[in-house]
Amino acid sequence: MIPDAIAASVLQSGLIPRGTRVQVFSEIYWVFLGLGTLVGAVVIGYMLKNAYKYSDRGGADEKERPKLGEMPTGGGKGKKLFLSLSLSAIIVISLIAWTYGTLLFVEGQTGDQGVDVEVEGYQFGWNFHYLNDDGEYSGVNTTGTLRVPVDTQVNLQITSDDVFHNFGIPALSVKGDAIPGETTETWFKATEAKNYTAHCYELCGQGHSYMEAGVIVMEEEAYNDWYAEQRASAENDSAGNIAAAGV
Amino acid sequence: MTDETQPRTDGGTATALPGDSHDDGSHLPPRWSIKRWLITTNHKDVGILYIVTAMFFLVFGGMLALLIRAQMWAPRAPGEGILSAMAYNQAVSLHGLIMVFWFLSPIATGFGNYIVPLQIGAEDLAFPRLNALSYWLYLASGLMVFASFFQGSTFAGGWTLYAPLNIPAFMPSIGATTTVFAIVTFCASVTVGGVNFITTIHRMRAPGLTMRSLPLFTWSWLLTVWMMLLAFAALLAACMILLSDRLLGTTYFAMTTDGGSVLWTHLFWFFGHPEVYIVFFPALGAMAEIFQTFSGNRIVGRKWFIVSMVLVALQSFIVWMHHMFLTSINLEVKTLFMATTIGISLPFDLMVFALIYTLIKGRIRWDTPMLYAFGALVLFIVGGITGVFLGAVVLDYEFRGTYWVVAHFHYVMVSGATALIGALFYWFPKITGKTYNEFLGKVSFAVFFTGFNLLYFPMFLAWGTPRRVFAYRPEYLVWHRIASVGAVILGISFLLIIYNLTKSLISGDDAAANPWPYSTTAEWAVSSPPPLENFPGTPSYASGALEFLGSDDDGSGAAAATDGGHATEHEEVHVDHASVWPFVTGVFSFVTVIGLSGLQVGSYPAGLEGLFYQATSVVGVVGLISAISAMGYENFTAHEGGFGETWPFGGVENTKMGMWVFLASDVVLFGAFIGASIFLRVAYGWTNWHPVPHNPIPGLVNTYLLLSSSFSVILALVAAKKHSRKGIVASLVITFVLGLGFLVNKGIEWLELFHEGVWLDSGVRASTYFLTTGLHMGHVIAGLLITAYLIWRAWNGAYSEGSGETLEYFGLYWHFVDIVWLFLFPLFYIV
Ligand SMILES: [Cu+2]
Ligand SMILES: [Cu+2]
Repeated sequence: MIPDAIAASVLQSGLIPRGTRVQVFSEIYWVFLGLGTLVGAVVIGYMLKNAYKYSDRGGADEKERPKLGEMPTGGGKGKKLFLSLSLSAIIVISLIAWTYGTLLFVEGQTGDQGVDVEVEGYQFGWNFHYLNDDGEYSGVNTTGTLRVPVDTQVNLQITSDDVFHNFGIPALSVKGDAIPGETTETWFKATEAKNYTAHCYELCGQGHSYMEAGVIVMEEEAYNDWYAEQRASAENDSAGNIAAAGV
Repeated sequence: MTDETQPRTDGGTATALPGDSHDDGSHLPPRWSIKRWLITTNHKDVGILYIVTAMFFLVFGGMLALLIRAQMWAPRAPGEGILSAMAYNQAVSLHGLIMVFWFLSPIATGFGNYIVPLQIGAEDLAFPRLNALSYWLYLASGLMVFASFFQGSTFAGGWTLYAPLNIPAFMPSIGATTTVFAIVTFCASVTVGGVNFITTIHRMRAPGLTMRSLPLFTWSWLLTVWMMLLAFAALLAACMILLSDRLLGTTYFAMTTDGGSVLWTHLFWFFGHPEVYIVFFPALGAMAEIFQTFSGNRIVGRKWFIVSMVLVALQSFIVWMHHMFLTSINLEVKTLFMATTIGISLPFDLMVFALIYTLIKGRIRWDTPMLYAFGALVLFIVGGITGVFLGAVVLDYEFRGTYWVVAHFHYVMVSGATALIGALFYWFPKITGKTYNEFLGKVSFAVFFTGFNLLYFPMFLAWGTPRRVFAYRPEYLVWHRIASVGAVILGISFLLIIYNLTKSLISGDDAAANPWPYSTTAEWAVSSPPPLENFPGTPSYASGALEFLGSDDDGSGAAAATDGGHATEHEEVHVDHASVWPFVTGVFSFVTVIGLSGLQVGSYPAGLEGLFYQATSVVGVVGLISAISAMGYENFTAHEGGFGETWPFGGVENTKMGMWVFLASDVVLFGAFIGASIFLRVAYGWTNWHPVPHNPIPGLVNTYLLLSSSFSVILALVAAKKHSRKGIVASLVITFVLGLGFLVNKGIEWLELFHEGVWLDSGVRASTYFLTTGLHMGHVIAGLLITAYLIWRAWNGAYSEGSGETLEYFGLYWHFVDIVWLFLFPLFYIV
């Protein structure tokens, strides 16, 4: 697709929103909202203006009007039409191209650093399997609550144990489909140690409305303590019960 | 209802012929008779049936919407509110399905039926009985949806029917199966209709009315039916596969099938995105007509408007993956589909500007149709701009599954509905011959527009709410409350509209033939409502404007022109307008589906219930086959048209062209089945996959059998040219025997596999093998049934004395079936 060199130089230009997902999303969203409102207001305003101006008020009519049974024709104002089209095309294409830079940034962030967690949807809740640095199951699993450290990139590998779900934490602007037999990857970074809620965003059956999970963002140390504790008890469990193979 | 078929005279436009009395000659009962509506095949009657039925489904879908909005009045704890969780999921799913399939498309089909033949100067559609059949299949499918609510639970997995929630393991209710059947039946209706309209518009236009000068509503409808034909074939494939999973136990979409879930999203959205334009195009065409008539201006940039529509129709098939940005598709694919999505938005910009510039220097009259059309454009602009947000992948990541999407597509789809309501007011005088109440019409628009924005705009503000839930964050409460109030107001506006139109139909003033100044299209040049045969003479644009040739009219208006050289006598051939068999076919389709819906993963329920379903299945299938055969045997004369033929359809008879168009949709159907097999095979691991039949030899033998049978069909054609009855019968018998040999050979192969315990549910390899070759086998069986019928007819001398055209049409079909096998054989026996 786009040569890497160009992509890289655009990425470094500072024009492209970067940072946490919350930052890039809100930056782009507000630009779109501002421009969208402006364009909408101009176009609809122009429509209303002409609608008012050319309303039929009787009076003399010097223009030649369509007649019943004439061969359908129409034309004129071609220049104006293409000028407007070009203008709108320039706005839309440059907006999308601008966000494409951010898309490259966002997509480039997955995987190489931070905490890795496999998110597994089921009817109707969420399991979290923490992965170690080699990408293997660490033995630390939680159900219903995702605990992550603050200011650290968290990489999610989202999948499903039954039907199609979608895992999203709205306040952290992160979302991914949970598809049985497939893994979708995404990431987020929380900048505040507080509690959030994750929702399911794909209709998955009776309990869909309440298919939530708590997301607890912890201070780095607290998280490390918690993780070490979980790790230890997981190892105790497997040591005490060798037969308990698997996750 | 009074008899409105009386011709009216009003200066300036041609009136109906005195010969209108051949209404009686066609054996069509009067309009107040219920029987007329059951047997009519006339395009105007069928159009009315479509419009009225669609309005019923609008009310039905609207009530479900009100239930949803009642539940959303406050965030609910489990068990709270008027709907249970499952009832809510059903309401959400069926609201979407009903509005898209059983209201929006059909009401547009109603206008297509009524208006398009008038606009192009055709006396009826190419295949009037198939047209009636489309309607009855549509009604039958809608009644299936009603029935599904009473079969445990209707479908409850959203209108997108995502897998694997859609299979019995997660949704075991019989009603869910009936809903999928209803969609399949609707697809059949659409395919039949598409073949009909495409043939009609390409072949039956008035002389001189070239494609380039077709009215914009007709253009939009032509592109709509082309998109329908191809997109609905993909949906048909998806739902047939889903039915096979549900009824027979194949495992395409099973949770354990690699790629099954994603396969569904591909199949569904390949249909689903064109569907947006299928719904919106007729509205756009109606908007263009209304803008021109009520501004008194011809559309600006007409050529570019048409080019834009064509571009959108083509591009609509290459944007579907923008619905899948959050699945595991890779960055390259996302980029590609982001680009195509932006690309498809640009022609719309041009069309919007063309409509706006048409207002300039106009004499705009704000009658009800114009208010709705203008309002629709405003709403569509909002819908379009908010759609650009979704085109930016990074934003889509966040909006996916939220009320932003809900708000956006309602602004788009319901703005389409707004324009179609404008169309309803616009063509109401033409269709009914009555004038609606203008004041009430304007009031209804004010209420409608207010209700619309109160309902959908707050959804943008509450966009953080996930779709299809009824528990939401308390800070959104106020927005959801306003939306619920707006829903009630919007509902009231529909009551006003329905009241206005019903009252006017009963006691409105008679409408003039052309109530709208500056209208141009041909439907306004005939009386309101038009006579059964539409025109007072043969319509022609050959002189550059509409005139009715060979009309013995008194000389008023356009009809006066007589053009010695080209004038053809208004043929007094007998043309049929009635057949009961489409109706009967619809009835038995319904019965068949209700019976088969009881089947689940290969077995019927136990006891009396199972007995009921089995008996109903048998009655339905027998009735269905009988009704279709009766329709085939019935003598029915339709208008042939053939004036406005254009490349590449010149000199092709209607039926032959219809067969080609049908085969085009069949190509998509098989394409989807074969694509699905290949997709699942890739997910499974291409090289780990071995053909299900152990031995390719029977398959190879079958290839020879089919190829020789294609050859024997050609021999039959040659014999027909020589008028040799024996030759035809002999060649057809050979074809039949070869086809039967194919079936027997295939049967043995299947029985052996069954014997070994390989069944449809033995994993995805067996599923794809049995289902894809089974679909082909179904085509072979249908071909053999037709062959048997042809042999019987040939024996009675049908093709040796007359022309052999029927044989040729069958030949086309049969060669197609053979060609499909040439793809299936290597795929399922060798590779
Ligand atoms: Cu869910
Ligand atoms: Cu789409």
